[in-house]
Amino acid sequence: MINLRAVKAALKQQATHFFVDPQWVIPSIIAPFIFTTVTLFLFSHTGGDLLLYAILGGGVLGMWGNTIQSSSWSIGYDRMNGTLEAIMVTPTSLSSVVLGRCLWNSFIGLLNALAVFLVAQFAFGIDVTLRDPAGFIIALVLTLISLSVLGMVFGAFYVVTRASSALFQMLEFPVYVLSGAVYSLAILPEWTRPFSYVIPATWGAEALKIATFTGYDSLGIGYWGALAILAFTTVIFLALSLRLFTYLEEKAKVSGTLVRY
Amino acid sequence: MNENEIVISVKDLVKVYPAATHLLGDGGKEKLAVDRISFDIHRGEIFGMLGPNGAGKTTTIKMLSTLLIPTSGTATVLGMDPSKDSMKLRSRINLVSGGERGLYFRLTGRQNLDFFSDMYQVPREKKKKRVQDLLDLVGLTDSADIRVENYSRGMKQRLHLARGLVNEPEVLFLDEPTLGLDPEIARETRALIKKLSREGMTIMLTTHYMFEADELCDRLAIISNGVIKGIGSPYSMKDAVRNDTIIEVEAGEITQSQKEQMKALPGVSAVSLESLEGRMMARMVVMDAATLIPTVASLLEGQRIISIKVDQPTLEDAYLKMVSDK
Ligand SMILES: Nc1ncnc2c1ncn2[C@@H]1O[C@H](COP(=O)(O)OP(=O)(O)OP(=O)(O)O)[C@@H](O)[C@H]1O
Ligand SMILES: [Mg+2]
Repeated sequence: MINLRAVKAALKQQATHFFVDPQWVIPSIIAPFIFTTVTLFLFSHTGGDLLLYAILGGGVLGMWGNTIQSSSWSIGYDRMNGTLEAIMVTPTSLSSVVLGRCLWNSFIGLLNALAVFLVAQFAFGIDVTLRDPAGFIIALVLTLISLSVLGMVFGAFYVVTRASSALFQMLEFPVYVLSGAVYSLAILPEWTRPFSYVIPATWGAEALKIATFTGYDSLGIGYWGALAILAFTTVIFLALSLRLFTYLEEKAKVSGTLVRY
Repeated sequence: MNENEIVISVKDLVKVYPAATHLLGDGGKEKLAVDRISFDIHRGEIFGMLGPNGAGKTTTIKMLSTLLIPTSGTATVLGMDPSKDSMKLRSRINLVSGGERGLYFRLTGRQNLDFFSDMYQVPREKKKKRVQDLLDLVGLTDSADIRVENYSRGMKQRLHLARGLVNEPEVLFLDEPTLGLDPEIARETRALIKKLSREGMTIMLTTHYMFEADELCDRLAIISNGVIKGIGSPYSMKDAVRNDTIIEVEAGEITQSQKEQMKALPGVSAVSLESLEGRMMARMVVMDAATLIPTVASLLEGQRIISIKVDQPTLEDAYLKMVSDK
C-alpha cells in the first residue's frame, strides 16, 4: 500500500515547492523567529528552567500547528490545484504521496526548532543547555513525525471535501492544549486526561521535557517510556489515517467529489 | 495485435450522482448522469463521445478510468473491472482532461513528468530517456526547465498529453483534448492523437465538435442527457438525416420563441439558430422542405426575410438532429 519510491518522489516534490514558493518561508522561518523573540523579551529576566520552558513552549512547540497544518493541507493543495485526479488515476496510493510530503514537513519542523535555538543563543546570548541533547533531538524527530501523521488523519478528509480546513481549524487548538505542549498538563482538569493520553504529541512533549530539564518526569514513565508510547500511538494514528484514506477514496468515487473545489 | 480484440466493453452502465449532503440546508437532488449506455471499443481504435454540455461524457470516462464507481451495469477495460481492479488497471491506462488545471504550476515541465513517472513506477533506468522523448514528442524540449506557470495554454495542454503518456498506456482516455486551444495547436494535437493511434494505442475521447469527431474517430457515440442516441462510424451517422433536407432561413431577426415555434412544426426534427452580422440564420432539419417553406415564411412575417435556401444535410445536422429533444 505504501510505496517507498512514491514517498520519496512526493518528499522531493514538496521540497521543490518549498524552495520555489517563498510564501512558505513565513510560517516556516520568519514566524518561529518572531515567536521566539517575543517569548524571550517576556521571559529573559527570569532565567533558569522557567526561561527554558518558555523557549520550549513558545518557540519549539509553538510551531507544532505549522507541521499539522502543512501536512493536512497536502491533499487540499492538490484539490485546489486540480491535480488530485491526476494522482488518483496512477497506481500509487494517495497515502504514499501524503506520507512523503509529511516527512518533508517534519523536517521543516526540525529547522524551525533549530531557528529557535539559534535566536536564543546568538541574538539573546542565552546559554541553552539541555540535559540530554541527543535524547532531545530523537524525541523531537519522532514528535514531528507523529504530528505529521496527525495531519494526515485530518488531511484525508480533503479527499471528499474542501471543508476539511474547517475541521482542522476546529481541532488544532484542542490538540495544542491537551498535549501539554504549551501549558503543563497539570493545570488541565482531570477529565481531559484520557484525551491527552491518546494524542501522540502528549508523549512527545513529555519526552522532550524530560530531555530538557533535570529531574523532570511528570507522568512517571521516564524518557524511554514516553518515547515508546509516542511510537505506539503514532503507529495507531498512521494505521487509522491509511484506513481513512482508503475509505474516503471509495466514498469520493461514489459521490464524484474528487474534482469539485 | 488483434484488431478485433475488444478492449473496452460497456453494458447497461448507469451513474446516478447521490444528492449532495450539506451540514446546513437540504442537499439537493440526485442526478442521473449516465442512463444504461452500452458499447464496445476495439484495440487500436479511436472512439469518440460527442454530445452537448452535461450529456454524461466525462462521467462515462471517469467510470472507465477508475475514478468513479458506476451505480449499475458493467464495464470492462483490458479484461478488468475498473471499480474492483483499479490499482492493477491504472498502470495500463491513463487519462488526460482538457483545461488549465491538473499540473503543478510551480514545477517545471520536466519536474512534472518526473514526478508522475515515479507515481507510475517507470523503471528508473528508463525514466530519464522516456521523459526526454515525451518532451520531444510534444515539442516542449526548449521549455522543459521553465516553470509551468509561465507556459501558454497550448504548452500546458501538450504537457498534459505528455503526462498521459508517461506509463506508455495501452488505453488512453482524453476528455476534450482540444478544449481552449487555438486552431493551429488543436490541429497539431489531433495529429498527435492520430499518430498514437497508428502506433497501436486504443483511444477514447470526448469532444463537442462534430468535425473533430469526423476527422479523428473510427467510430463514435452520440450522447445526450445520459443516453446514447447513435453509434457507428462518422459517415454512418449521416443515416440519421438520409431522408431529410435542410431549410436555411436568413432574416433580420429571429426570436427564441420563433425558433421554438419552428421546431414544433410537423416534420421538423432540429433547429439551430446562429446570429450573423446584423441578421440571423435558422438551420432546420426537415422531412419535406417544399411544403414547409410557406409555413416558415409566414411564421417569420414582419422579420425582413433575406433568403430561404434548401440544402443537403451534413454530419453536423445529423448530430443536431440526434441530440435535439424532439
Ligand atoms: N460530481 C458530480 N455531482 C453531481 N452531479 C454531477 C457531478 N458531475 C457531473 N454531474 C452532473 O452529471 C451530468 C453529466 O455531467 P458530465 O460532466 O458527465 O457531462 P459532460 O458530457 O462531460 O459535459 P461537458 O460537455 O459540459 O463536459 C450533468 O448534469 C452534471 O451536472
Ligand atoms: Mg465533460
